[in-house]
Amino acid sequence: MEAEGIYGEHLPEMEKIIDEMKTRIDLLREHIRQKRGMDPVEHCLSRIKSEDSMREKCRRKGLPETADSVLFQIHDAIGFRIVCAFVSDVYMIRDYLADSDELEVIEEKDYIRNAKPNGYRSYHMILQTRGYYIEVQLRTISMDTWAALEHHLKYKKQISGNEDLIVKELKRCADELASTDVSMQTLRDMILDH
Amino acid sequence: MKLLLAEDTRDLNRGVTMLLEHEYYEVDSVFDGQEALERIEQESYDGIILDIMMPRKDGMEVLQELRRRHILTPVLLLTAKAEVDDRVAGLDAGADDYLAKPFAMKELLARIRSMIRRREDYSERRMQYEDIVLNAEDFALTAGNSVRLSIKEFELMQILMANTDRTLTTEYLLGHVWNGEPDAQEDTVWLYISYLKGKLRAVGSTVRIAGSRGGAFRLVCDGE
Repeated sequence: MEAEGIYGEHLPEMEKIIDEMKTRIDLLREHIRQKRGMDPVEHCLSRIKSEDSMREKCRRKGLPETADSVLFQIHDAIGFRIVCAFVSDVYMIRDYLADSDELEVIEEKDYIRNAKPNGYRSYHMILQTRGYYIEVQLRTISMDTWAALEHHLKYKKQISGNEDLIVKELKRCADELASTDVSMQTLRDMILDH
Repeated sequence: MKLLLAEDTRDLNRGVTMLLEHEYYEVDSVFDGQEALERIEQESYDGIILDIMMPRKDGMEVLQELRRRHILTPVLLLTAKAEVDDRVAGLDAGADDYLAKPFAMKELLARIRSMIRRREDYSERRMQYEDIVLNAEDFALTAGNSVRLSIKEFELMQILMANTDRTLTTEYLLGHVWNGEPDAQEDTVWLYISYLKGKLRAVGSTVRIAGSRGGAFRLVCDGE
């Protein structure tokens, strides 16, 4: 059991689901590129959550560290992050995934229209296919930039002391990036409409 | 409300200070221009009353120094000589008002009230319309979420929020937001209106901007 890891015999099936999902997204990108002359996706990352962070999450949630908990109680064993050029692309990809016959939408959270108090913005979906859960995070390049930089600073901020100021300034940066996203979207719409 | 009074005539200084304190103003009083400048550098005041004729530095010098340092606190000048040139020089140097000695205490109080009110009226820090708040401190437009506006977006939003009862034409906006800048055209206004439309949606507001390219614009609530 230990050699196989926490996912046990499920691992090959999970890898297959990731491959199928990648193909699905590639086909969609190609379809949109042909139709509109623009690739809506900047990059797409996928991962199976590491053994260590999965065990840590089980302990935090008070769940037994078994394949059953990590696959069916916790929903982010398989994770996708799809980073798009424009805000409208995020919603276009979202609509496509929601319409897919092979995927069932279990839960959706729109942190773009309802940003988290710290300024975090992304569109989160929990999908299910053949019993397995896939967590999908959809966001723009700006939102991805902010999330990446905030992640770096999160571990440094306890050193400096004035945490309130840093939290406030990070929120301000998130709002400014969100504003730029809207400006870029407006410019794109104006160019494409002409 | 905190005021600074700089007046070298001891009796007048004491009398005015007592009167202002009686009206619930917090008052710092000093007796020459140099002292006034030192106080202003350390404290922030809602209004400053400066006598023109003072030892060490006169009122005009203090006023010029303030404005040069971009301290925009309203200033009321007290002038002994009722000379027109003095008043003109004072106003040109950035005074908000003047009062010639001798003056009635009642008039001094009225002028102080008017000076402070004027500042509050013209630099509105926070505007609200339906579910949106526009904050001049940090240029944030807030409904459910908040975003930061650029300077021109902010000025355009401000003028739209101050005129929700009428439409503003593209020409009017070019004149008042872009001050007739030669580079700004009909398309500039439309682009900035489009930015604001997107930003209103991004903050989750029900407020929209009605009007089309080259036309007249007005904020409306989705219910309308």
